[in-house]
Amino acid sequence: MASQFDADVIVIGSGAIGTNAAHLLAQRGKSVIILEAGEWIPRWKIVENFRSSPRKNNLNDPYPNFPWGMSSFDEDYIENTGNFNYVPYQLQLVGGTTWHWAAATWRFLPNDMKMKSLYGVSNDWPMEYSELEPWYDLAERNLGVAGSDTDDQSGRSGPAHPPRSAPYPVPAEGETYYFQRLKARIGAEGYSFIHEPNGRTNKPYDGRPACSGNNNCMPVCPIGAMYSGDVHARHAEKAGAKIITDATAYKLEKGEGGKIIAVHYRSSTGADVRLTAKTFVVAANGIETPKLLLLSDVANSNDLVGRHLMDHSGISLIFTADEPLWPGRGQVQQGAIFKWRDGDFRGQHSAIKHAPHNNVPNRDVAELLLRQGVVGPELDERIRHMSARWVVIESMFETLPHATNRVTLSKTKKDALGIPTLSFNYDLDGDAYVERARDLCMDDYGNFVRAMGGTVINDKTGWQNHAHVMGTVMMGTDPKTSVTNHEGRTWDHDNLFLATTGVLPSSSVLNPTLAGIALGLRTADIIAREV
Amino acid sequence: MRGIISAVSTAFSVLLFTSQPAASQDGDIDRLIERGRSVAIAGDCMACHRTAEADGKPYAGGYTISSPMGPIVAPNISPSKEFGIGNWTETQFVDAVRNGVSPGGYLYPAMPYTAYRGMTDQDAHALYVYLTKGTKPVDEAPQAKTDLPFPFNQRILMLGWNVLFNSAIPFQETAAAPGGHERGKYLVDTLAHCGACHTPRNLFMAENNDSYLAGGDVGGWHAPNITSDAVSGIGAWKNEEIVAYLKHGNAAGKSQAAGPMAEAVEHSFRHMPDTDLEAIATYLKTVPPVRAEGQTTPGFARSDAKAADLGQLDYGIDRDPKAMETGTSTNGEQLYVSACATCHQVNGKGTQDHFYPSLTNNRAVGGMTSNNLVMAVVDGVHRKTNDFTVQMPAFGEELSNAQIAAVSNYVLHRFGNEDLHVTEANVITLRNGGEKPLLVKATPWLMAGSVALAAIMLAASAFVWSRRRSRKHAAHEANPGDLQPLKR
Repeated sequence: MASQFDADVIVIGSGAIGTNAAHLLAQRGKSVIILEAGEWIPRWKIVENFRSSPRKNNLNDPYPNFPWGMSSFDEDYIENTGNFNYVPYQLQLVGGTTWHWAAATWRFLPNDMKMKSLYGVSNDWPMEYSELEPWYDLAERNLGVAGSDTDDQSGRSGPAHPPRSAPYPVPAEGETYYFQRLKARIGAEGYSFIHEPNGRTNKPYDGRPACSGNNNCMPVCPIGAMYSGDVHARHAEKAGAKIITDATAYKLEKGEGGKIIAVHYRSSTGADVRLTAKTFVVAANGIETPKLLLLSDVANSNDLVGRHLMDHSGISLIFTADEPLWPGRGQVQQGAIFKWRDGDFRGQHSAIKHAPHNNVPNRDVAELLLRQGVVGPELDERIRHMSARWVVIESMFETLPHATNRVTLSKTKKDALGIPTLSFNYDLDGDAYVERARDLCMDDYGNFVRAMGGTVINDKTGWQNHAHVMGTVMMGTDPKTSVTNHEGRTWDHDNLFLATTGVLPSSSVLNPTLAGIALGLRTADIIAREV
Repeated sequence: MRGIISAVSTAFSVLLFTSQPAASQDGDIDRLIERGRSVAIAGDCMACHRTAEADGKPYAGGYTISSPMGPIVAPNISPSKEFGIGNWTETQFVDAVRNGVSPGGYLYPAMPYTAYRGMTDQDAHALYVYLTKGTKPVDEAPQAKTDLPFPFNQRILMLGWNVLFNSAIPFQETAAAPGGHERGKYLVDTLAHCGACHTPRNLFMAENNDSYLAGGDVGGWHAPNITSDAVSGIGAWKNEEIVAYLKHGNAAGKSQAAGPMAEAVEHSFRHMPDTDLEAIATYLKTVPPVRAEGQTTPGFARSDAKAADLGQLDYGIDRDPKAMETGTSTNGEQLYVSACATCHQVNGKGTQDHFYPSLTNNRAVGGMTSNNLVMAVVDGVHRKTNDFTVQMPAFGEELSNAQIAAVSNYVLHRFGNEDLHVTEANVITLRNGGEKPLLVKATPWLMAGSVALAAIMLAASAFVWSRRRSRKHAAHEANPGDLQPLKR
């Protein structure tokens, strides 16, 4: 029978979620093809692209932007109609967008998955935390996640939470001086400082070296200490999966009985190829996945594909403290400050995660001073002074799923392959749920600056998003209100599965990639039992 | 015939030894087990008799040793009665360790029994007690099986090989025990079997005793000269540096252990008492010096990187998207700057704390062969020490063979021995286990002719191993054709 198909399973997308799922399927003896729109690019080449880039603050700049695989910073690719200019940051190369994440790998709390029944907003997940827990554990082992086994991540300073079946595979790294000082002074004001679980291993793990504090997680880790999807692309290949690059999937072909029978992809030269499989997994990121479904007119009988786009929209604060904190040593972020993490307030306003950023600040400081006209020896002196005291707090808010916040196909533009580009409608202004959180966040900022004897540089950043794409193909228990069931299986096609953070039906305030990988592994396990 | 005689005499000696009163108290057994554990550590049994996966059950076997003849799977030597050595008598055990003859048949000399033949009776006894009573049985057989091609699958051939090459004489307890005057030599020649890798082979793959510990090739890696020669060997190293190297795999500013030596540090040397490591260092300083032909500068002594034009390193690159995704450049400088310099630094000096070692003052870069540089790039470096684990990532998948050659040549030229040159073909040969011994290469041709029998005889006498190879220790040399009975 297998010879009738090109593969048992075709996985579309070679990012962290797709390759982890493909690896599990290949390990179980399934024949697997992975389609990737971009190419393999060796790490050294990306590092070189970064070093020679004049746009160091553009995370996508070290990565190629092709007329057939456009960067989300390309104005020809992304158009916006809402009151917020949404940019999703996704990358197209083997390994996907995890090439330039900061590898924050939190688990959602059990309460995050019951927002509707506990707080009357957002959605409940179609599964219990306990059902996902073993897959979180496997995902953490695949990534070599470093974390604290004693922190209460709910921010209540209670026993370790959420529940774990096994310790973190890598212990938490030591705290930077910067983090220690913020914790000592701001923590005294009643804020919880929680270590951030992360995929930047601090001891050799799975062939990766330990992080040595290059402070360059975004846009590329120069030594491969930080996990990126290429790790499991290689593992999947070794386990027997075949990766086809330069293969932009543009159509899922429907057959009889609601089955998907083939995927069509186009290469950069315009050549078209049709591949068949028993089962298809679309793991093409929370934006490109709904795009492929919309292009193919599949899984969308209820018109929900691309809707309910959620991100962790928020604001940030920059100030200088009254003492040297020496930011920029070690990893780019180490933990979170929680006050509004979980509780009944979530019925009224967003939960909030404050993340102290630990990037080397010299460039930002120098740009600021030059704009102010500071030159000569004073410039040097003030760069040194301010860089030592520079504090950046980025704050993320939980957002609710609104049907009008969505990604659609552009009606007017196409890329070089003739495939429509993307249009976003994303509104934040006027959303009382996040605006209330913004007011509380400003109160927190006042406390932070006061506690650190600080001088505000900027507390009026306006809305910012964090490329945490959720909700666009959300899972649920009702075919009328969701795109997939708890397995990631689309309601409309029983051999079409979606493995992406787009299936998350509520957003919490936590970076969603680990949840996406855990769900993708769970989906792969279900497929492996069927195919 | 001599093999049989030696086997009989070994058995006899063991019988004599084991006829002594058995240890009567638990304390004696505990001490014996502890001594056996030390012997197993110094003998590095775990280097091979481990599982295929890291951190598996001790002595369960399954680890594959690559030999020029093909892969050899280390057996289970846990006390499991069905799958291990639980049913072996002490006589059988000692026969295996010293003579390469197990109850199941002849062993391949991937098991370094020619070195272990020098083991004192007391250590052999303690090792038996430890392995049968001091470890946990693992009741499963390794999944992989040794399956060498003809003629090497004819284990009976080892009879002839043993006759020629297995002729060491056991050390005496008083000399070889801790504090004994031959302790260092005993560790080097017998338990740690250093010569298995560090002594070169002659044309017939027998060890060249004129070049005792003067360096050999091991599965693509080079086991360096460790004679007392101040230029080619370790004569200019301080004893503390030798001890640090054995203990941590790092003699800062001289050399770092990688490949099989990193495994020896991880499984064996770092667990040995300092007094033993010091005894090894002291003994190595007495080994007759062997100077590599033409060598005038010690490998670690090249300290000055050739100046790089920093302006040239800060080059602009093609921002065309196709160029940005194409990683096929064979410009060594470009590869070094983006793939290596993050850790080893643009000037090759590494970091001040030596966590990332310098490429200047580095034997792998400044010595007489580039093998270890190339293999470190291909395989990376992985070494557990008592303080932390060292991990240099492997570049064998990310870089092509031509790129590995290019970056190696750049490193050699700027930081080390610029007379060396690496070709793409060299890289391919090394990553596939290194140059095959002439006799292995010649075997198919010999087999194809009407001289199959001669080939078998020749191959038998030339059985050689890439990872653990036999050697006779020089002072206990037996003349070829002259059997020395085992003395007690």
